[in-house]
Amino acid sequence: MTYCNYCKVYIRDKKTKCPLCQNVLPDNGNVEEAEDIYPVIPLAYERHILIRILAFISVVAIVISYVVYKIFPTSVNWPGFVLLGLVSAWLSLVYILRKRHNITKTIMWQVIIVSGLVVFWDWKIGWRGWSLDYAVPILCVAALLVMYITAKVMRLSARDYISYFLLGGLFGIVPVLFILFDIVKVDYPSLVSVAASIIFLAAIIIFQGDSIKEELRKRMHI
Amino acid sequence: MNYPKKVEWSRLDNASKYFAATYSERDEKVFRISCELFEEVDPEILQQALDETIERFPYYKSVLRRGIFWYYLEDSDIRPLVEKEDKPVCAPIYRKYERNLLFRVLYYNKRISLEVFHALSDGTGALRFMMTLVYHYLTIKHKDEFSGKIPELNYNASIGEKKDDSFERYYQGRRFKKQAREKKEKKPFKRVYRIRGTRIEENRIKIIEGTMSAKAVLNEAHKYNTTMTVFLSALLLRSIYMDMPARKKDYSLVLIVPINLRQFYKSETASNFFSTMSIEYKFTEEGMELDKIIASLNESFKKELTEERLSEKINWQMSIEKNPFARIMPLPLKNLFIRIADEVVESRTTACISNLGKIQMPPEFERYIRQFSVVPNVRRPQIAVCTYGEKMAVAFGSPFKETEIQKNFFKSLSEMGIKIEIVSNM
Repeated sequence: MTYCNYCKVYIRDKKTKCPLCQNVLPDNGNVEEAEDIYPVIPLAYERHILIRILAFISVVAIVISYVVYKIFPTSVNWPGFVLLGLVSAWLSLVYILRKRHNITKTIMWQVIIVSGLVVFWDWKIGWRGWSLDYAVPILCVAALLVMYITAKVMRLSARDYISYFLLGGLFGIVPVLFILFDIVKVDYPSLVSVAASIIFLAAIIIFQGDSIKEELRKRMHI
Repeated sequence: MNYPKKVEWSRLDNASKYFAATYSERDEKVFRISCELFEEVDPEILQQALDETIERFPYYKSVLRRGIFWYYLEDSDIRPLVEKEDKPVCAPIYRKYERNLLFRVLYYNKRISLEVFHALSDGTGALRFMMTLVYHYLTIKHKDEFSGKIPELNYNASIGEKKDDSFERYYQGRRFKKQAREKKEKKPFKRVYRIRGTRIEENRIKIIEGTMSAKAVLNEAHKYNTTMTVFLSALLLRSIYMDMPARKKDYSLVLIVPINLRQFYKSETASNFFSTMSIEYKFTEEGMELDKIIASLNESFKKELTEERLSEKINWQMSIEKNPFARIMPLPLKNLFIRIADEVVESRTTACISNLGKIQMPPEFERYIRQFSVVPNVRRPQIAVCTYGEKMAVAFGSPFKETEIQKNFFKSLSEMGIKIEIVSNM
């Protein structure tokens, strides 16, 4: 063991400087024999490098598209779409990354975010109604299918998916409003979504009713 | 669809609720208990020992989940695995969107370490898990040497006792809240000194661990007619004072000392069951000499550690949790209020010292175990002490690069003629 003359303490592990006073320790040949008690952990600078590259590319793409637009103007404001597209993609990506440990939750969030985005896009490019006619109902049905398949394939237990199944089913019924208030020109996709959701909800309530009750009791306890 | 298996879940105890709400990047609320052997740790046997131990502490298989109003602990079927230490000391354990166990078992050369998220358990609770783990490790590893005479661990609590919510058990109801409030005397506002420093990269913490003879330190403490905890607290206060800038010398120092409530109330829980007391000292008024500091601390400790004060504390802590308005507040809002309250308390805290006391293992293990040590969760400079056999380990954790206070502290011990062996993680 090395001895710090200033602090009057013995240093057990491999150190060239005293951890207390930071003075250089006398080298009496013991450093090599010293014990290794705490591992040396390098700093983790490399983390999120891919995200950083993507963020950088996004900024470059937006800047360049505006510059090109200024030099060669066109009738369509296409750099705006580049910007919107990137914002949409990032919004989606951030939520996927944040909730990645809960797949059914991720799917649920994606349905909500993407639904919002398609309606926004539809409205931005002159409201032709395709978002509510097709996109949202198809998203709902697709989400139910994907949730069911992942739950089966990944062998999730009922408590992990049940609340998101419930939410997914309820969300899938929303297109009934499109039909009732006559917002949509094409009824069939909404109809399919509503029907599928009702059947789906009925199935989980009938077969997994106890799990739902148990899960709600847990999550709602005061 | 398969018939769902019923999953056990439980509410968090009072202290766990606080830790779940206030963990942050700067203070992950993770502490560590290490056991250093005289021999290299064998990971495979450690895994076997962990499998044995977890059977006896099923509560440790819980994961923390968020409900609408409260967090709750849910049983999981995750098998805990031992890991070779490759993360910084007390690296984050609980992550909001992940579903992981709330503890980890590490090994590195001769050390076995248990790191615990504070919402699962306090130091004493985790120590029981650790002792059981080391017990199984040594009895498996040295089966032949014990030749049929397997030593016994003196911790025999039922599974129910181990996960007991003792706060709930000893809470006397809402009518005691009024009494507690009436008795609370108004303290004049004093400026409290807070230690500042340069934070270490990645919010890591610097651990300086000094091992010394418990007897030698106790002898010094006895010279002042006091206990180990008071003696070390006094040294800590003086070390901080020596480092204070001149313009702040007239600030008060406030030391937070956790109290293990199991000493005062019958409880075998391996979950949280502790309270804290804050001890105040002002150097410019009360003097700089060690005997004056100790006399003042003796007085404060005696005043705080009465049965009446302790039950007041429990009732006070619990009454906040039982408040109907607090109960129906959604979790994110609740967390926000707890964090604000916590910041207020923190702004009036200088440092913290906790003593886990003497660790009792079967005497047959003496030739295998070198020492135990405890690393506290660190938000500000903080000390944790524990004793095994002859060796007392004082771990000084700090989020700052500066080591003046640590130097003052250990130097004041070494100047009394006590031999100290220092180990540090950076």
